[in-house]
Parts: sequence; structure tokens; C-alpha cells
Amino acid sequence: MRRDLHDAAWGGVLALVGLAVAAWAAAYYDFGGLRRMGPGFFPVVLGLILAALGLLVAVPALGRPGMSRHFAWPETVGVVGALLVFGLLLNRAGLVPTTALTVLIASAVAPRRGIVWRLVLTIAVTALTWVLFIGGLDMPIPAWPRSF
Amino acid sequence: MTTLEGLAHGLTVALQPSVLIYSLFGALLGTLVGVLPGIGAMAAITLLLPITYYISSEAALVMLAAVYYGAQYGGAVASILLRLPGTPQSAVTTLDGYPMAQQGRAGVALFTAMVSSFAGSMLGIVILVALAGVLGRLATSFGAAEYAAMMVMGLVAASTIGEGRPAKSLSMVVLGVLLGCVGTDVNSGVQRFTFGQVQLLDGINLVALAMGLFGLAEVIGNIRKAERDGPPPHVSLRQLVPSRDDLRRIVAPIGRGTALGGFFGALPGTGSTISSFLGYALERRVARQPERFGQGAIEGIAGPEAANNSAAITAFVPTLTLGIPGDPIMALMLGALVIHGIQPGPMMLEAHPDMFWGLVVSFGIGNLFLLALNLPLIGIWVSMLRIPFRWLYPAIIVFVCLGVYSVRGSTFDIVMVAGIGAIGYALAVAAFSPALLLLGFVLGPLIETNLRRALLVSRGDLMTFVERPVACGFVIATVLLLALPLLKGLRRNGG
Repeated sequence: MRRDLHDAAWGGVLALVGLAVAAWAAAYYDFGGLRRMGPGFFPVVLGLILAALGLLVAVPALGRPGMSRHFAWPETVGVVGALLVFGLLLNRAGLVPTTALTVLIASAVAPRRGIVWRLVLTIAVTALTWVLFIGGLDMPIPAWPRSF
Repeated sequence: MTTLEGLAHGLTVALQPSVLIYSLFGALLGTLVGVLPGIGAMAAITLLLPITYYISSEAALVMLAAVYYGAQYGGAVASILLRLPGTPQSAVTTLDGYPMAQQGRAGVALFTAMVSSFAGSMLGIVILVALAGVLGRLATSFGAAEYAAMMVMGLVAASTIGEGRPAKSLSMVVLGVLLGCVGTDVNSGVQRFTFGQVQLLDGINLVALAMGLFGLAEVIGNIRKAERDGPPPHVSLRQLVPSRDDLRRIVAPIGRGTALGGFFGALPGTGSTISSFLGYALERRVARQPERFGQGAIEGIAGPEAANNSAAITAFVPTLTLGIPGDPIMALMLGALVIHGIQPGPMMLEAHPDMFWGLVVSFGIGNLFLLALNLPLIGIWVSMLRIPFRWLYPAIIVFVCLGVYSVRGSTFDIVMVAGIGAIGYALAVAAFSPALLLLGFVLGPLIETNLRRALLVSRGDLMTFVERPVACGFVIATVLLLALPLLKGLRRNGG
């Protein structure tokens, strides 16, 4: 029997997050009382509730079979990577090179291989972005690297 | 202001050229994202949120709302032709819509979906206007205790009525509420969970959270899924014409679906997705030959499509009159209103008649526009289905980045969206609802404020929630909603 590991793992993570939040809030923020709640009241109580719910998710999951779920690893890495590149590069390299590189990275995880369609798409999206955001909306972003 | 005066006033607002243009733009964009599998109304509204900073509040809300109901129209197209629901609300439409398409009646199925959507929306507007006045008057007597209790009830209802394990749903709501705590506490000025990050002083940015949870997570999950083989069938205008028998069959389901959707849409916690499922179940129950359902029964399209459109309209009732969004899309609408400094609530009708009545009238105009354009343009929408998702999603990613960046010029937010997107996708894979997380995030701070206020007034006496009859009613309903899954579980184990 394959256990419902997804729920067990996530329930455990949520329980830990709840406990951590409650502990942090209890340690650093004033709890107050019902009459005058401090900033710690809500996070402590809800953190404990989350911990309880996490256990409620995790414990029954250990005793029942679960289905394996497909996790799209390459797609996740490609998309998150594309965003990180965009975020880190935008202020340094300018909009045009950043957009082009982002599209190239993002399209690398598409089900269709090949470079030609990706180059066409890169040029199209980069041009569209330039026209819309620099030409149309006049966003205060440099289009090219500063040294140009 | 009487209803008629209100509508007349709304007409002057909704017919302003700028508002009209944004309404039409929203309706078209909504239909488009509804048609395209892989991107839904939620993602589209999220992507448009940054734009709302730059336009008038009426235009902003009218546009976002039009995307929402426009997507309800468009969602049916992919459901019927490809058995791929364009939106969650149109998932039930695949059950009988796709069989109809296989029998060569795709045109009639599309016609039915469009007409039912239109009728459901229009009747939904009537329900909205009727309910908003009543509820607004009722809510003026609400105090902090009632608000807090009602919002908790809404969150609990959303987690226990919907699909999925209630414990999982509730844990997402609580996580959302905790995320809502991040930032400066309004009551004490204490910075909670900011860990010294200046960017977090105002809390987690709603746009960043929504874009990560929906825009990005949806894209990741759909890169492979939305890729399919074979072009959709060709649909010509002549095929749209229904027979007299078809028309006779859809009238009653539209009426039933509208009433059902109007009711469940207005309840906090239940939305258009649940309404469309209930609409289908109802049609099958009242049908003389229930075995026809799933084989291409036209009633199975008319009922749910009317229900989800009606619900999409009446969902604005609690959002506008109580300030309580019933579903995550409404949570984004509320967020957009707050961005413009409008706090919805019982005083909404008096304090912001432009917004309320303008929105109501724009619903009518937008739906008329959708009906008038969508039927003749059906060929164009069908051909949109030929665009593979791989041509779209890299552009979506770039727009997500620029959209988030435009809010406050921070690349930190883009990196945060990337993280939230990865977590959101992982949660969605494990069948935890990111939508409920967002709902908790938006309602959390409101609940905390009202709870604190209520207990300050009652001097820390929790009995205030029992002694005040309306608040007590909400508390009882909450307890019942929490007990519901327990009872269901017991019965399942016992029998």
C-alpha cells in the first residue's frame, strides 16, 4: 500500500509552521488579554490552530493509501528560474535583454523542443513588451544596459 | 436614492466613454481567457490589478468584473469543443457539452451556453439590486461582533462546503490569515513577522501573492496539460440555430439555475463554481429521464451555465454591501476597491453611489455586449483554441514580472512572486486550495480588527457573541458547518 505521503508531509510542514509562528509570536509580541488583545494574540492562537489542523491532516493520511501525484519538476524550475532571472537582471541589463532571456528560459521547458519557434517567440514577445511598456506606457525602466 | 434613480445614475456612470471602453475590453479579455485553457479569470484579473492603480476606481472595477463574467461565457467554448474546461466554473459543461459536440451539435451547445449565461446574468442583476438594498439596510445595525462572526462563518463555509478534505481547506484558510498578519499591526504599531525587511512593513503585497498563487502556479501546472492534439471542430453560424424543441427544453433549467446560482452566489463562502455543480445536480434530479445526462442532455448545459453566471453577479452582494468577499475573485475585487480607498460596507450605496450603480449598470451593458458579439464571433473564439499554450505562457510570465514590478518598482517583489508561485504550485499538486489561502489573507486583517473591537466593547466578555442575536446566529451556523464534515465522516464509517 502506498501511503498518502503528500498529505502526511504537508500536514507535518503546516503543523511545524503553526508551532513556529505561535512560538515566535509568544516570544516577541505582547499577548495581551481578551479585553485588550496584544499584537501577539492572533498569531499565537491561529498558529496553534494551524498546528492542530496540520496534525489533523497528517495523522489520518498515514493510515490510508494515497495516489501518487505528478509534480512537474522541469516546468517548475524553468518558470521559477525565468522569474528569478527577470527579477535579478531587470535593473542591471535593461528591459530588452532581460525579457529576451526570460522568454528563452521559460520556453525551454515547453513540450515542443527545437530552437526556431523559441527564437521567433522571443523576438515577438520582446518586441511586444518594448512597444507596450516603453513605447506605450513609458515605464521608467532602461531598455538596454546602462553602458550602451 | 430609489432603485430607478440609482439605475439612471448608474447609466450616466457606465456610459462614460472611458468606463465603457474598459468594460468592453474586460468583457473581451474575459471571454478570451475563458476560451483559452490554461489561464482563467483569476489569473487574468490578477494580471490586470496593477493597471487599476492608474485608472479611475469605477473603470477599474467595471473592467475586472467584466473579465469575471466574460470568462464565464468563454469557459464554455473549450468545455464543449475540447472537453477541456477553460474555467473551473465550466467544468460541468463538459459533461453534456462535449457529447453534444461529438453528436455534431456543438453549435447548439454553444448557443445554449451563451443564451443561458446571458439570461442568468440578467436575472442575477435583478437579484443583486433587490438583495443589496435589503442587506445594506440590515447590515447598518451590525457591530464589530457581527462582522467578525460573519467573516469567520464565511471562511468556514468556504472550506467545508467546497470540495476537498475540510481539514486541508481550513489549514489553508488559517495559513492565509497568518500571512495577513505580516506587517505593521494597525492597533499597536508593532511590526509582526517582518524580520527587518523594509519591503514587508506594509505586509505582503496582495498583487504579488495573487500572481504567485494563481498566475504562476496555473502556468506551471498547465504547460503540459493544456497542450493537446487535434484541432477543434469547425463551427459555423448556421449550426448555432437551435430547434424549437431545444428552446423549449432550456427555459425551465435557466430559471432554476438562475435562482440557485443567485442564492449561492450571494452567500459568503460559496461561489459560482459550487453553483454550477449544484445546478447540474438539480437538473439531473428533476429530469424525467436522468439517464440522458452525460449523453448530451441540453438541460445539463443550460442549468449550470445560468447558475454560474447568476452567481458571478450576485457574488457582488456580500462584497459590496458587507465588505465580505465570498470567493477569491471577490477578494481581489475587494483588494482593488481598497487600493482606491473605498471600503465596501453597508454605507456603500450611500457613500459611493457612482461605484455601486455604475457597476450594476455596467453588468447589464457588458452582458448585452457579450451576447451580441460572442454569437457572431464564435468562429474567432473557436480559432483561438488553435493557439498552443506554449506560444502564450512565456508572454504571460513576462507580463507577471512587469505587472508586479509596476506596482512599486521593486524587483524584490518579482523574486517573492517566484517563491510564492513554486509554493502555490506544490500546494495545488497536493490538493490544498490556494484560493482559500487568498481568501483567508484578505479577510484575516478584517477579522482581527473586528474581533479586537468587539471584545474591547464587551470588556473582554466572549458572551457578546452569544448575547447578540445576529452574532449568535452566525456562531451557530459556524458550529454547524464545522460539525457537518464530522457527521458525514461518522455516517460513512458507520454505514
